[in-house]
Amino acid sequence: MRKLKMMSAAVLSLSLLLSGCGNSTKEGQSSDGKKTASSEVKITLLNSKGEIQAQLEEAAKEFSKENPGTTLEVIPAAAGQSPFEKVSSMYAAGNAPTISMVDPGDVKKFADKALDLSNEKWVKDAIDGSLDDAKTEDGKILAFPFAVEGYGLIYNKAVLDKAVGGNFDPASIKTRKDLAELIKKIQKTGVASNLQSPMDWSLGAHYLTIGYSVQSNKFEEVEAFLTNLKEGKEDLTKNEKLNGLLDTFDLLKENNVNKKDPMSGTYEQGPELLGKGKVGLWFMGNWAWPQIKGFDTTNGNYGFLPVPISDNPDDYGNSQISVGVTKRLIIDKEQNSPEQQTAAKKFLEWLVYNEKGQDFLVNKANIIPAFKNITLEPQDPLAKSIKAYMNNNKTLRSMVTLPPDHWSQVGAFMQQYLDNKIDRKQLLKQIEGYWKSQQ
Amino acid sequence: MSSQKFFDRLKVQLLFSGPTLFAFFTVVILPFLYGIYLTFTNWDGVSTSHSFVGMKNYLAVLDDAAFWTSLYKTMKYVLLTVILINVVGFFLAYMLTTEIRAKNLFRAGFFTPNLIGGIILGFLWQFIFSNVLVYIGEHFKIGIFSSSWLADPDKAFWTLVIVTTWQYSGYMMVIYIAGLMNIPKELLEAASIDGANAFVRLRKIILPLMVPSFIVCVFLSLQRGFMVYDLNIALTNGGPYKSTQLVSMYVYQKAFLSQKYGAGQAEAFVLFLIVAIVTLIQVYVSKKREVEA
Repeated sequence: MRKLKMMSAAVLSLSLLLSGCGNSTKEGQSSDGKKTASSEVKITLLNSKGEIQAQLEEAAKEFSKENPGTTLEVIPAAAGQSPFEKVSSMYAAGNAPTISMVDPGDVKKFADKALDLSNEKWVKDAIDGSLDDAKTEDGKILAFPFAVEGYGLIYNKAVLDKAVGGNFDPASIKTRKDLAELIKKIQKTGVASNLQSPMDWSLGAHYLTIGYSVQSNKFEEVEAFLTNLKEGKEDLTKNEKLNGLLDTFDLLKENNVNKKDPMSGTYEQGPELLGKGKVGLWFMGNWAWPQIKGFDTTNGNYGFLPVPISDNPDDYGNSQISVGVTKRLIIDKEQNSPEQQTAAKKFLEWLVYNEKGQDFLVNKANIIPAFKNITLEPQDPLAKSIKAYMNNNKTLRSMVTLPPDHWSQVGAFMQQYLDNKIDRKQLLKQIEGYWKSQQ
Repeated sequence: MSSQKFFDRLKVQLLFSGPTLFAFFTVVILPFLYGIYLTFTNWDGVSTSHSFVGMKNYLAVLDDAAFWTSLYKTMKYVLLTVILINVVGFFLAYMLTTEIRAKNLFRAGFFTPNLIGGIILGFLWQFIFSNVLVYIGEHFKIGIFSSSWLADPDKAFWTLVIVTTWQYSGYMMVIYIAGLMNIPKELLEAASIDGANAFVRLRKIILPLMVPSFIVCVFLSLQRGFMVYDLNIALTNGGPYKSTQLVSMYVYQKAFLSQKYGAGQAEAFVLFLIVAIVTLIQVYVSKKREVEA
């Protein structure tokens, strides 16, 4: 009797175990949403912009309120985790988010899992070029442009006003020589001229890639340049534009407030030094505004300067700053039900056309939207500055679809260069080597 | 009849070991085999299809200079940490089994670092190395601390060694204390009567009898050293410029950052073989030195 009891208990627990596994594999394909779709649709959004998590949750509540029967849950990706890593692990678990916020370079990796969005209403309102890297070869649009971001040399206007003795005009800096003079003028007022932060993502993904963007104002030619690099046909030591950019880097390095110990800097140091007016210039992007705001001493008088690459004011890149779509949303079609997909499309539309959606994007999350129909003016000075460059067509196209480890590998080379561990020639050879290994 | 008996025995065996076997098979054996299978493919970690590429990934491992550099760094790290952890751990244990006051307080204190997770520990020490020590160094004009240790490739490597030693020596200390307490008192007493001083007792009696503890501790510290990841990512994040990127982190980045899952997995498998060989040799060699009291 007792034996029987034990046996049955063991069998029961085993069968539980087995059925538990069976379930998850079978239903991984069709999540709970499918069964209850008629009454309630629950969709999820994976957020990889940690700084707007709270605002996004607010927006999700608004959206759910306006669309009864639909709930939107925002899942944060852990800080420092790449969105690709998070999304691919969720796919592997059979639990893919309905909407995933990914980096532009990841979109094509999810090509067979992402819903075709070509017929959405917002496609025609997207700003020029903002959908280019979300298209498949046969012209299908797979991703929604969520945020436009830009970077360059952020200046503290109070410091620069004092340095030039009057009202500083960002358009007056057109060449490396202008920049060098500006740096000298700032230093004369007893303030350090600039900060060059040593983060690999900043150096590898942002600074150095300007050197790719400025190769040509036609994007096809930039792409051809990268293909040549991969095939080892490009001699970077003879590349005038990239060398010009690095000459400017030398200038920034020479006058860096951290010059004594360049690798000791942190991202957190930047907003503080710039906000408090202890440096005049900092190479960074508009995402730094919330942090700069915390230390602001100039009533929000900041803006961007281009990173000049030569002494000829007409050269492409000397009056442009780098701007691009840096986050995209894709909708999953594999593990989410059609009802969930429709609800997700509705959310994208809500962001672009609903007043509250627009308010969330521009005012709450400080995002520069990639849509022409959104006329709300950005609140923060850095976004305003980028908008101004965009309106004047003074933008370089950011290199957002490079190989996924470019920022890390090339960032490490740039750090070595910043720390004077390698010289220019070694740096360029290492970059060439990196590209050759990408074949 | 005998087959009847066999089935009876099998039933009982399955009753007890079945669930565990099943769990072990599904969460250890299957992923392991599947992982080996993936080393022969060009999977990127997410796409639904991948194709078979044969030995290409393994050839790429041989070619990947960065992998071998990080493996060399890991070897250096393992060697240093194994020695330091065990020397410090044994020294602490030896001191804390002599007649000193507040023994238990010290034991608990030295063990505590082991209770803190590697990630938190890494951030704590990051703050200490790049803020606290720099502040002290500038304030009291101590040259070696005046700039952040984490910004210099060589010093950053040493920060890893120091923090690992600090983290694990308390743990090894506990094992050594257990070993030391098991040494028969009468042996030590007899030795003292024969005129052996403390050093001779240590060398001729304590150390030989402690070999089993040494095997365990060296094994544990070896294996942890090779597999270290959390501390590496939280303390130095491989920096400055990848100079302190140890092999686990390198393999992880290869698979998930460079999105070369097959190649990363092949490197992980090579690493597995190396660790297995090293630890097996260690256990085999040191087992031979065990003595009976």
